[in-house]
Amino acid sequence: METFTKQTVQITLRVNGENHSVEVEPRMLLADVLRHEIGLTGTHVGCEQGVCGACTILVDGAPERSCLMFAVQAEGREITTIEGVTPDEGMSELQASFQKHHGLQCGFCTPGMILTSEALLARNPNPSEAEIREALSGNLCRCTGYQFIVDSVQDAAAAKAVNHTNADGGSDKEGA
Amino acid sequence: MADMASRPQFTGSRITRIEDARLVSGQARYLDDVDFPGMLEVAFVRSNRPAAKITSIDIEAAKALPGVKAVWTHDNCPLEMTSAGFKTTWYALAKDEVRFVGEPIVAIAAENRYVAEDAADLVRIRYEEVEPVLDVRTAALESTRQVHEGRSNVFFHRERKTEGFDDAFNNAPHRLKDTFTFHRQTGAAMENRSFAALMDPFSGRLTCYCGHQSPHELRSELCEMLGMEENMVRVVVPEVGGAFGIKAAMYPEYLVVSWMALKLRRPVKWVSDRQESFLSDVHARDGVHDVEFAFDDDGKIIAIYDHMMADQGAYAAVPFPGSLGETVTAANVLTGPYTIPHQATVIDCSFSNKMPLGAYRGVWGPIASFIQEGIVDRVARHLGKDPVDVRRMNMISDADFPYKNPSKMLYDKGSYLKSMEDALRLIGYEDFRKKQAEYRTQGRYLGVGISVFVEPTASASSEAGSVGYEACTIRVEPTGTVTAALGLGPSGQGHETTMAQLIADQLGVDVKDIVILHGDTDSAPFGGGTGGSRSGTIGGGAAISAGKEMRAKLVKLAAHVLEAGEDDIELQEGKAFVAGVPAKSLTIKELAQIAYTHVAKLPEGMKPGLEIVTRYQPPFKVSFSNGTHIAVVEVHPDTGLIETLDYAVVNDCGNLINPTIVEGQIHGGVAQGIGEAFLEELKYDENGQLVTTSMQDYLLPASVEVPRMKIEHIETPSASEGGFKGMGEGSLIAAPAALTAAVSDALEPFGVMVNAMPVTPAQVVEWVSKGTPAVGAD
Repeated sequence: METFTKQTVQITLRVNGENHSVEVEPRMLLADVLRHEIGLTGTHVGCEQGVCGACTILVDGAPERSCLMFAVQAEGREITTIEGVTPDEGMSELQASFQKHHGLQCGFCTPGMILTSEALLARNPNPSEAEIREALSGNLCRCTGYQFIVDSVQDAAAAKAVNHTNADGGSDKEGA
Repeated sequence: MADMASRPQFTGSRITRIEDARLVSGQARYLDDVDFPGMLEVAFVRSNRPAAKITSIDIEAAKALPGVKAVWTHDNCPLEMTSAGFKTTWYALAKDEVRFVGEPIVAIAAENRYVAEDAADLVRIRYEEVEPVLDVRTAALESTRQVHEGRSNVFFHRERKTEGFDDAFNNAPHRLKDTFTFHRQTGAAMENRSFAALMDPFSGRLTCYCGHQSPHELRSELCEMLGMEENMVRVVVPEVGGAFGIKAAMYPEYLVVSWMALKLRRPVKWVSDRQESFLSDVHARDGVHDVEFAFDDDGKIIAIYDHMMADQGAYAAVPFPGSLGETVTAANVLTGPYTIPHQATVIDCSFSNKMPLGAYRGVWGPIASFIQEGIVDRVARHLGKDPVDVRRMNMISDADFPYKNPSKMLYDKGSYLKSMEDALRLIGYEDFRKKQAEYRTQGRYLGVGISVFVEPTASASSEAGSVGYEACTIRVEPTGTVTAALGLGPSGQGHETTMAQLIADQLGVDVKDIVILHGDTDSAPFGGGTGGSRSGTIGGGAAISAGKEMRAKLVKLAAHVLEAGEDDIELQEGKAFVAGVPAKSLTIKELAQIAYTHVAKLPEGMKPGLEIVTRYQPPFKVSFSNGTHIAVVEVHPDTGLIETLDYAVVNDCGNLINPTIVEGQIHGGVAQGIGEAFLEELKYDENGQLVTTSMQDYLLPASVEVPRMKIEHIETPSASEGGFKGMGEGSLIAAPAALTAAVSDALEPFGVMVNAMPVTPAQVVEWVSKGTPAVGAD
């Protein structure tokens, strides 16, 4: 299409369990490639300065700022976006809890909040309020004042605990 | 016909939000998610000088860069923003001269933003600098350079005084004075400001996408400035990632992008980055107030004088200059909830070489509250009284109604004193005072601050309300579900839920059977939009009014078909039935099928279809909410850090539509109040450069800085439809005053009385080092 040649590289990104082969300029941010090349627009870009946390995704299970990574750096890593933690039907425990407790208003920071919370609950299934606030301190929200977000995460942790107990009692199903 | 559809099932209940499903799953579409084939992306070259003549612009290298479609200067886009009454010419792209750092000069459209930014780096602009005007007091001096040649920097001056002010002030037993300073801030929504436009290939009309609070206001402004007819422009507001007033304004970038879409015949999009947002989203506050006040031996406040100065920045923002909001409205409610009989105000708004002032949530409010509460606390400290007692003595009581304040504003009945007494109980005031004394003996400095606020809401005119009414259409679809549309512009307030709650109760249908549309001028009726805490009250009033009209038609139709009197028809659970004879019923779906299809069954004279549009204007020009915030903080004298330990809110916004959503609004406003009181400041250096253009420099409150809040509601209904009062801004109006008062209280042993916001750690350390007593002072 264009009459000039850009320097690009072919990479394969593993996102939400699927491989995506994309041709990118080395300078392209992972956030931009996820959004504009792969079409996963649930990852939001709030500052491109690594401060606001809206673009948080999970890389090998840990929260990372997708605006501070080049896409080429993400090759060979397991990337999870908000689309990857959303069940085919309905909502995850955390998502349902955010709705139940009004843990969001404009929703722009919400995917990042949920992914950070996913990672928190994976390593600390029963966090205190202080631990939740500490874990979320890198995700800014301008609408909610955080209280209902904290409630959402706490209640989701409790719900997960109940589900896991039930699962131990007879079934081997994973938490939804 | 009963007054409402049976019992209200949804209004007042804590139902979860309808919009959340798409938001929590990342499926919502914000502006940067709008994409069309062939879409160009825009980057702007902005002035890096606060005040300069442009001597040359070299765009050749930028134009030659592969992937660049257009490089535009003023010559390609000779459009300007016009602000009625405050004639300043703000060109969409600067012409010959720049007046603030960040002013757009060149616009580049390229295949993507990366390339557009590359090209922006290749543009060379030469300037001839002139002395910038950066301070509101300096701006007013005769000797200072005029920001707009040929006119005074002070572009708005007003003096008001109550009758008998001078005698009352001069004869009072006590007089004190202080200067209150408010630094610059901005809304800093998580989603940056953005705009996209394209010629609609099917209709040939211009379609504009913009995260905006008032879709119709934006359309009117675009049409006026682009020279187009309103039926040729469609504004679509997608999901909005926070707005807070900054997205109520018109901006130069919107004109440029629209013009590019028209001239280049391509879809064009501009998404601001965060640095651009800090530079070019409207700023707020930035005022200095020289205040004097008089009171008697008991602490009864007699008179307030306030010389209000506000720094508008370089141009009058459209649709209104924020400096007027921050001063004129502050003057309207400067006495807050206190029966202070005399007031004199002098207002001076002036131009400078900074980004223009527009709206940020609570416009005027944090300023008036900080001054009025600051006065009360200074009176208390001067007389050695408990600040609570001074408040009780000066508070409006029920016997004062109907109450007009010195600015002749008519207050709604409320719970002014009760809200304070309840908040004192919630925070445990008496207990705290005992503990505070103990802590001081240990060298710990805790303080409590009280802010009793009034919040004028739902004004006939506001930053968003181009009109004093709101509009609602309701259509019962042929299958019996309901589609309603309003002229609102929500950005997280949950209107799709709250408006559905109100309509559901009128029509007796499930809230889940209602879809609320907004933000598209092709489907939404012409309305005022969202801002000035008007949506719940005026928009809600429109939803109820439209619901009542639709309900009347459904009842009339049902009565005819069921052969019953209209008075005997009830609507509930999706059915119309004869009271006491539930078997004699029709579903809404059956009624809709008659209305649309089996029209022969309609009563004589009833037109087919179930579709109405209604506009609602409240009976008063303004509805006053009220409440009290109390904050407890600990100030660490060594580090200067301030921790908010406890927080109580008692809020009265009349009848509640959805208490959970109201509480969410309060939480968010208090968090922003913590930002305003302790963190957020847009700093221009002595050269006129904005030095806080990242979120590492402009600090927003994080989860660890916002305390858990205790909230109680009081419901004193207003005279509006539904008895609602607005409440979107009250928490940011009240919180900064409570928080800073708590700092003053904590540092009372050091003689500190806060008179500027934000209070920074460096400021605290300086106060403590200069203050007299140290550890163990009483």
